[in-house]
Amino acid sequence: MNSLRLLPRRIFAFVARDFRLFVSYRMQFFLRIVSVLAVVTTLFFISKIFSGFTDPRYSQWRDPLATWLTGLAVLNYFMTGFSSLANSIRQEQMQGTLESVLLTPINLPTVIVASSAWDFLETTFFSFLYLFFGRVFFGVQFRGSFFLAVIFLLLTTVVLACLGILSASFAMVFKRGDPFGIFLGAGSALFSGVFFPTQLLKEYAGPKLGGISLILPATHGLDGIRQVLIEGHGLAQVTQPLFVLLGFLVVLLPFSLWVFGRAVRRAKREGSLIQY
Amino acid sequence: MPEAAISIRNLSKTYPTPFRRLRAFFRRPVKEPVEALRDVSFDVREGEIFGLIGRNGAGKTTLTKIVATLVQPTTGSVSVRGNDSVLHDEQVRRQIGLATAEERSFYWRLTAEQNLMFFARLHGLSDRTAKQRMSELFAKLELEEVARRRFGEMSTGNKQRLAVARAMLSNPPVLLLDEPTRSLDPLAAARMRALISSLAQQDPPVTILLTSHNLAEVETLCERVAIISRGRIRALDTPQHLRSLTSKSEQVHLTVSGLNGSHESERISFTRESHDSRLDEMLRDLQKRGARILDVEVERGSLLDVLELYESKGETQ
Repeated sequence: MNSLRLLPRRIFAFVARDFRLFVSYRMQFFLRIVSVLAVVTTLFFISKIFSGFTDPRYSQWRDPLATWLTGLAVLNYFMTGFSSLANSIRQEQMQGTLESVLLTPINLPTVIVASSAWDFLETTFFSFLYLFFGRVFFGVQFRGSFFLAVIFLLLTTVVLACLGILSASFAMVFKRGDPFGIFLGAGSALFSGVFFPTQLLKEYAGPKLGGISLILPATHGLDGIRQVLIEGHGLAQVTQPLFVLLGFLVVLLPFSLWVFGRAVRRAKREGSLIQY
Repeated sequence: MPEAAISIRNLSKTYPTPFRRLRAFFRRPVKEPVEALRDVSFDVREGEIFGLIGRNGAGKTTLTKIVATLVQPTTGSVSVRGNDSVLHDEQVRRQIGLATAEERSFYWRLTAEQNLMFFARLHGLSDRTAKQRMSELFAKLELEEVARRRFGEMSTGNKQRLAVARAMLSNPPVLLLDEPTRSLDPLAAARMRALISSLAQQDPPVTILLTSHNLAEVETLCERVAIISRGRIRALDTPQHLRSLTSKSEQVHLTVSGLNGSHESERISFTRESHDSRLDEMLRDLQKRGARILDVEVERGSLLDVLELYESKGETQ
């Protein structure tokens, strides 16, 4: 109960710490903003090649720039969902600071959640930047309910955070960071429809390889968000991706917490939690 | 009889070989499990400064980390002021502060102040209380001048003092100090010893478990000392009693002048049993003969002799 009461303060402690570390590398911050602008500009010019050529079967791709920008913004967020939990613990392990953090009256799940809070804030800023630059400099129009889009974003992020918890469990026991991140990162970019419609995969690579996209939560999250923001669909029209995501959540949440509990016990027994 | 602040019962720790079966299956070399502690039992009383000495790899760090709840024991138990280190680990961490000489345990790009503020918030202190506590500690540990300096730019001695400040941040009743004076200059080391000593005498007193390779420091500060070797406690007693384990005799060297009317100074050496009357007799005799005593030196067995004794016993076992 006391831990729960102190949770916001502890999250604030980590966010304040990471903000201070972040501003100690100011140049990197400005370069990242410039790189987002460069990516948006590049995509704008590529989208001009396809103007007027969109296949009517791919309704979400009538304005490829809007679709890419939503894809990149949301992919960024999803990647943070599953990689930051594992990375946070691995980074503290490598820096040698995990031991001193764990000496405070704070439990490991709180450390993991709190230490990835800044990553989510940072990603929110940079994801927003993709949409902001698209709208301000290249006139990209988004419609539909932003509230519903945010619901999709949060739900998909929580589902991917469950995979992140599995990844963090792996990092704790094997002392290797983010093994699922490589698979899910590359996999999501290729199979989730960030850069091209997932239907094309089925047409060109066959139903088996194309079917991979269906088992990735990011595919359904992205589909839901695009249906809302690009096609202007309401809640009644996006129930299918919504229920699929809820299904993922029901299976992955208890499973990942169970694996995490076992990993913590094992790491404490072996003394590997605080080892580099 | 004062209550035990730290109670250790039949504590053993063996670090298992990770993925032993998997390694064996793939015919990879399999290391043997490492036995770090075996059947360790002792109590540290409230307000006591308790020393733990032993060679590198003797099990001191593992023992400290188990008390600090960072590592779980294989068998046995540790309780800190009545809280079990496995079952009530959060309550245990509320009661302890650990200072190690490990420099990597701080954020190098943050200042000393920012580092302490981060840990104070994790302890649940309000910013106001944290600032007040930090300023007290900076003054006590002479860190005021470097409070706004980045940790990475601080000297090794200041880094070590900051580690002690962090351990004391939440005002814990139990402190675990791992070589607290290792990187300090002689003057700073003396001040640190005075601080440690005063903590145990304040009201309410702080209980201190001190591990150190500086045996003179342990002898000066600690009421009781445990000698750990190969994961076992080999001896536990007051420094005086431990010293007497190696030899009950001591060498006395007297420098005198005017003996039998001579103007030259002379050195007289003799061996006596601890607390026998030979020194008293010798002094009376010399005074009778008109001698003036210029200097007295006593060579006693040290904790180093005791440590060597148990190490050599361990090797022959």
